Amino acid sequence: MIGFIKKDLAMIKSNLKLLGILIVVYAIMGLIGKMDISFIIPFMCVMIMISTFSYDNYNKWDAYSISLPNGRTNSVKSKYITTILMTFIVSIITIILSFIISYVNTKVINYEQILVTMFGTVFGTLLVLTVMYPIIYKFGVEKARIGIFLIVFGTVIIGSLLANYIDITNLLTSLSFLKDYLILILIIVALIMVYASYKISEKIFTKKEF
Amino acid sequence: MDNILEIKNLCKKYDNFELKNITFNLPKGMIMGLIGENGAGKTTTIKAILDIIKSYSGEIKIFGLDNRQDERKIKEDIGVVLDDMFFPEILTPNDINNTMQGIYKNWDTKMFNGYLKEFSLLPNKQIKTFSKGMRKKLEIATSLSHHPKLLILDEPTSGLDPVARREVIQIFQNILEKDECSILLSSHITTDLEHIADYITFINNGEIVLSKTTDELLDKYGIVKCSEKEFKSISKDDYIKYKKSKYEYEVLVPNKKEFKTKYNISIIDKITLDDLMVLMIKGGKSNDRIYKKRFSYDKK
Repeated sequence: MIGFIKKDLAMIKSNLKLLGILIVVYAIMGLIGKMDISFIIPFMCVMIMISTFSYDNYNKWDAYSISLPNGRTNSVKSKYITTILMTFIVSIITIILSFIISYVNTKVINYEQILVTMFGTVFGTLLVLTVMYPIIYKFGVEKARIGIFLIVFGTVIIGSLLANYIDITNLLTSLSFLKDYLILILIIVALIMVYASYKISEKIFTKKEF
Repeated sequence: MDNILEIKNLCKKYDNFELKNITFNLPKGMIMGLIGENGAGKTTTIKAILDIIKSYSGEIKIFGLDNRQDERKIKEDIGVVLDDMFFPEILTPNDINNTMQGIYKNWDTKMFNGYLKEFSLLPNKQIKTFSKGMRKKLEIATSLSHHPKLLILDEPTSGLDPVARREVIQIFQNILEKDECSILLSSHITTDLEHIADYITFINNGEIVLSKTTDELLDKYGIVKCSEKEFKSISKDDYIKYKKSKYEYEVLVPNKKEFKTKYNISIIDKITLDDLMVLMIKGGKSNDRIYKKRFSYDKK
């Protein structure tokens, strides 16, 4: 499986440089007190990884990967592991930078706010991954892009419709007891989601013909 | 274990095509050429061997093991070149080396770099800058660098110019001289196979038409060229197919020597795999009405 991870990392070498530049831009913007773009950085990891699916598809790598030892399973596993590893490494760098920026600007580190922002972002990123990857494995990258648009669009419409019938303030008040466990809940939910998504993708790819 | 690869009653059904009861064996240390026109079923057979296609019936054994149950073990010892180019073109040969190091237990970096040097492939150049011939050579180098016991090559010379084709064939000949490797090589460029294949398996329309040693085919089979009068004197049991050209009949006979002793027809040419393919696919047999109707060679 290490080989598959190495292949994906080699394919996104130039994009990793872009990610590095984005982190530097974030640091500069934060230090001069401009917009906070930290939430974009982990999200970029999934977007960059999705580009590897396009390369695989365009160059017919998938059929060949099956001819390699444990190709079907390792192909899928490596995509998930690479994405999660990248997201976490980049998030940790961003959190450390956020601490530094916060300290330089205000002489105080707002631990809670930074951590909640980053956990929220990582959670959102993993949510995109869990939805996108099985769709990509089933229908290919192009159709998956349309799929994610429909999912986001549908979620917004359903959300705004529900908002008309549910008293959000009341709901949030009644759920306020969960606030102390928010990060823990996010981590557990994220882990379950990613595992379920991986299993679905693996099942799809195991049955796929080329 | 005498056979490296054993295929028994392999069937696969698509909407517009069917692979019917494919059965053949590849003995250890031999090269088998899989021939047939485009769309005959060669690639489908190879994809079934490699489990790239699913839901087929029949039995496929490689190194005496089931190709699905012992997949990992088997694939460690197989080298593959597929019909289409398959390496992401933004990678370099060095990236391929790093990738394969993490995939094959027996990956041999020294051997891979040796092939790169031999084929004049620059290790740090992106694959997209390579010509078609260079890409094919990189794929072949990759397929060889983990000391495989079986090479499965689907149209490895397709789309290459004659010089590159000759080079690629030479590479396979060198491997056979050096290693105890068996090769299953599919191609519709049959001249490539005449020189190197020990066995020929001919697939047409999803079915095996024949599977024999190359020597038997090229030495025993022949093409009789005769007039209409002479053709009519030949018993239907003594030929396989025939084709009528403008001035003569071309008749495919399974045994040149026997034919010579039986008939007084002097022109019997040596057969090439190209001739064999054309006659088997397009030729008619006098008692075969379907062929007559479809191709009506004898009416032209």
